[in-house]
Amino acid sequence: MIFSSLIFLYLFLPLCILSYSACKRIRSRNLVLVIFSLLFYAWGEPTRILYLLLSVAVNYLCGIGAGAEQKSVVRKLSLGVSLVFNLCMIGVFKYADFLISNINFIFGQDIPLTGIVQMIGISFYTFQVMSYVIDCYWETVTPQRDPLKFLLYVSLFPQLIAGPIVRYSTIAEEIDDRRTTLADLSYGFSRFVVGLAKKVILADNLFQIVEQFLGNIDSQTILGTWYGVILYSLYVYFDFSGYSDMAIALGRIFGFHFDENFRHPFLCKDITEFWQRWHISLGSFFRDYLLPLPVFGIRNKYLSLGLVWLCTGIWHGASWNYILWGLYYGAFILLEAKIGKKKMRSFPLWARHIYNKLVIIIGFGIFYFEDFKKLGMFLRNLTIFNPNGFFSFAEQMSLYNNLFLIIAAIACCFPLLELPKKLAEKHGTLKAGISVAGTVGCAVLLLLSSLLLVDATTVAFLYYRF
Amino acid sequence: MNREQVMERLTEIFRDVFDDESIVLTVNTSAKDIEDWDSLEHINLIAAVEKAFRMRFTMKEVSGMKNVGEMADIVMARGKANR
Repeated sequence: MIFSSLIFLYLFLPLCILSYSACKRIRSRNLVLVIFSLLFYAWGEPTRILYLLLSVAVNYLCGIGAGAEQKSVVRKLSLGVSLVFNLCMIGVFKYADFLISNINFIFGQDIPLTGIVQMIGISFYTFQVMSYVIDCYWETVTPQRDPLKFLLYVSLFPQLIAGPIVRYSTIAEEIDDRRTTLADLSYGFSRFVVGLAKKVILADNLFQIVEQFLGNIDSQTILGTWYGVILYSLYVYFDFSGYSDMAIALGRIFGFHFDENFRHPFLCKDITEFWQRWHISLGSFFRDYLLPLPVFGIRNKYLSLGLVWLCTGIWHGASWNYILWGLYYGAFILLEAKIGKKKMRSFPLWARHIYNKLVIIIGFGIFYFEDFKKLGMFLRNLTIFNPNGFFSFAEQMSLYNNLFLIIAAIACCFPLLELPKKLAEKHGTLKAGISVAGTVGCAVLLLLSSLLLVDATTVAFLYYRF
Repeated sequence: MNREQVMERLTEIFRDVFDDESIVLTVNTSAKDIEDWDSLEHINLIAAVEKAFRMRFTMKEVSGMKNVGEMADIVMARGKANR
């Protein structure tokens, strides 16, 4: 099930909130959330929910073992079993066929592909449980002994399928005891609508234009290629950050406070900063659990950086373009580290913005094209070597027809929602008016999004497949 | 090694790694106080401290160290002078 569907919005979510509110004790509330979360997952993966439950069972036991007091062998064994199990799960369900096809290609073999279809959300919940078991081993969290509470942590539907990767320490206390205030509800509902609008109004419409331009890259003009990839960058941002907004908002409605996953990434001044603002929960996972790992026994920042970005690329998908994409970013972050922060700051701000936007936009092109032949065409078509000319009538018409959508998308890259908040803080008399305007605005966005959903073929979130 | 000696040696290492002779360490100094001390530079810093004190930090320590005081505690417990 996806958040941006009528069945979720007008059946699943209201039923879940009503059932949750009808329960007064925390254990019953947790049980309601677990039942609805499993139903939510089973909607898309009716049989593979068993693998999710298996992962929960294995990591529940490993967490207790890894956090066992003074039994070093049990602790190490539990951590080892958890890491091997989780990496095998992700390896089989995400990378098996990629590995086999590469072995076939390199060694001229004909090993049949497994045909295993990737499980929804496996990269997210697997990383989540790995972080939990490592934290138990490091004794930064106390292992959860209540199976229901642990199942709730892993399966909690707001973050189950496409993150953010929520650390156990972030919500451990709230699993035991939490309450939702009126302010939480108000914040949760309004932020959910904002996230929904980002997805349905902006991302889904941008995607249609992107397909029109990047879908036939071989005959695209220079301007058409740039236009398509710029809109694709915006699409990925609104699709994924819209999902994160909805996840954080739903968490808040049920009394959970998840960490932010995006902080207006396109406002960054360099690539290093971009990754401090984009998919923060993945970046902090690699920073905390992979970066400190000595590579081949050597502690060196460049080797660690290479490993982190190789893994970032691999995490995104079983295709060489994602690996290239990860290493591409790693190379620019390494370059910036070599130049140094002070020197980077000495460059004019406009030059830094042009530099990072170019890197990011071209990076999204690498992200889009899984086929290397098409990726080659894309890179060529960005330049004067494009055989299809500079521009055509198609870009002009598309820009003309979608001008408001594109202006709205660019405007929404800025922290616009901070403005009314600041205004209300500065002028107390405007507070009531701003609050009413906010409520009306949310109602309009919800209505508009719902109308668009009635008439739309559901476009799944991009990050579902990761 | 007493704490004073460890802090003195750590100060030399920090100045060398971050190429900044003005760094003055206290037990409360953290990444917030030194501009270049980010997660990446932290790896080089850890490598330099490990070399200087002939010791190895665990991954938990590398990831969870909050300030110079915590680093000095670990060094005092396991490090050996190597000047």
